[in-house]
Amino acid sequence: MSDPINIGSVDDIPPGEARVLDGDDNSTGVDISVFHAEDGSFYALDDECTHEEASLADGFIEDSQVECPLHAAAFCLKTGKALCLPATENARTHRVEVRDGELYLYPGEPATTQA
Amino acid sequence: MESVIVVGGGLGGFTAVQQLRGRGFAGRIAVVDPEGVPYDRPPLSKEFLAGSIDAEQLLFVEPHWFAERGVDVYAAAATAVDLPDAEDDDGRVAVTLSDGGRLTADRIVFATGGKPRALPVPGGDLDSLLVLRTRADAEKLRAGLVPGARLAVIGGGLIGAEAASAAHRLGVEVTLIDPVDPPLVPAVGPELAGRLHAMHAAAGIRVLAAAPSEISVRDGVHELAFGDGIGPVSADVVLVGIGIVPNTALAEAAGVEVDGGILTDDAQRTSHPRAWAVGDCTRPRLGDGSPGRRAEHWESAMHAGTAAAAAMLGQEPPAQTASWFWSDRHGVHVEGVGDMTAGDTTVTRADASGNVQAAFRLAAADDGHRVVGAAAVDGGVAIRVARRMIDRGTAADPARLADPAVPYKQLLK
Repeated sequence: MSDPINIGSVDDIPPGEARVLDGDDNSTGVDISVFHAEDGSFYALDDECTHEEASLADGFIEDSQVECPLHAAAFCLKTGKALCLPATENARTHRVEVRDGELYLYPGEPATTQA
Repeated sequence: MESVIVVGGGLGGFTAVQQLRGRGFAGRIAVVDPEGVPYDRPPLSKEFLAGSIDAEQLLFVEPHWFAERGVDVYAAAATAVDLPDAEDDDGRVAVTLSDGGRLTADRIVFATGGKPRALPVPGGDLDSLLVLRTRADAEKLRAGLVPGARLAVIGGGLIGAEAASAAHRLGVEVTLIDPVDPPLVPAVGPELAGRLHAMHAAAGIRVLAAAPSEISVRDGVHELAFGDGIGPVSADVVLVGIGIVPNTALAEAAGVEVDGGILTDDAQRTSHPRAWAVGDCTRPRLGDGSPGRRAEHWESAMHAGTAAAAAMLGQEPPAQTASWFWSDRHGVHVEGVGDMTAGDTTVTRADASGNVQAAFRLAAADDGHRVVGAAAVDGGVAIRVARRMIDRGTAADPARLADPAVPYKQLLK
């Protein structure tokens, strides 16, 4: 587990969009995407699709899912669960907290809801 | 229902298995495929051919997945299927295997796929002509793709274009041959078909708009003859990618209704109450009973496997969605959704370099326009938005579709 990283204000990521935190800038060493779901909540997953090399931050965010931009594998933002082929492996989640309008990412610490 | 045999371990068959278990079916499941553990085929003409992923990475799931879920995988061909009397509720389906084994179950899923269409010209049946359908096909082709080798690709569709691109990047001297110029208009529309086809020549591939009239081979070198004063073309390796023929013989011999594909309803039921069919071997039976167009794309096989599993368990199948495909060549990612041959007008949107990035096919509606098809180069979001517009019947404003200043997602609002 690691200390949270302040990744900016909630206003920095519009609803339906995502921002990537480079692996060099977080303790896990892999890129992490922070998603602003349309329900207003923030979620974080490893950025790379578990199927092939593609950035989930470039995917299509709708409801509480993200669809991979290459082959349309879908993942649950809350649990990381792989919802359809071609992905069969779940994505790793990371805890995100909102405090005083600021976003805090806990790299390597799973979100509370598990797949 | 206590047991199911799935004949064929491609995407449709694998999805049926995955969905049966995922939806709570606890009975016996057997998968029969001469190639053994199910694997994914799209990479065969892309990453696998290029050598950037290996055979293990083709697998949908690791082999232990099947054992852990009580799914028996039989690495054998099904040579015969016996279906019980349609009225006999206690009758069993029996499948005879090429290794002499015999399996019985309550239900069968035909997921027998297709086989490459042979070139209907003299020499089109030469054993040395290669096709690209299975992992073994891809390995054989790959072995011939050494720098400086001459490859003739006959057929400029998805497989041909992808294989030509991968081979070119391996240092092979490629000639891409298709009588239709440009190919793929029905899939992506003329605007993008032209842009995509031009990438071959721009990359240094020789492109011929012609059809070979005869192929001969001598001392390992093929000669492709053409009429019309073209050619001949000499090639060390010849790949034929001109489409597939559905594998229906097993189902037909079992008495299941076949007409250019195993006929299925929208829950993938065949004419026999114990038999389902999914993927490339099938052809939809439309509402009026007439046969529809066969769907050969990856995702439609996945959806069919899901629909079959749901129907076998008496569950509601997922909602239908517009058909979708992708292709990768020359470093670009192509996607298409819906039907680019339907509708009446096309609207295009350019990328920052002024190239057509996305084409939207529109049909007039009482209150404006509806998207019926779309295709894009490196435009995944455009396609995901278009798909939702098609599925939801969202009103489409042609000016906004064409305007690069309007983010695609806003078109859904």
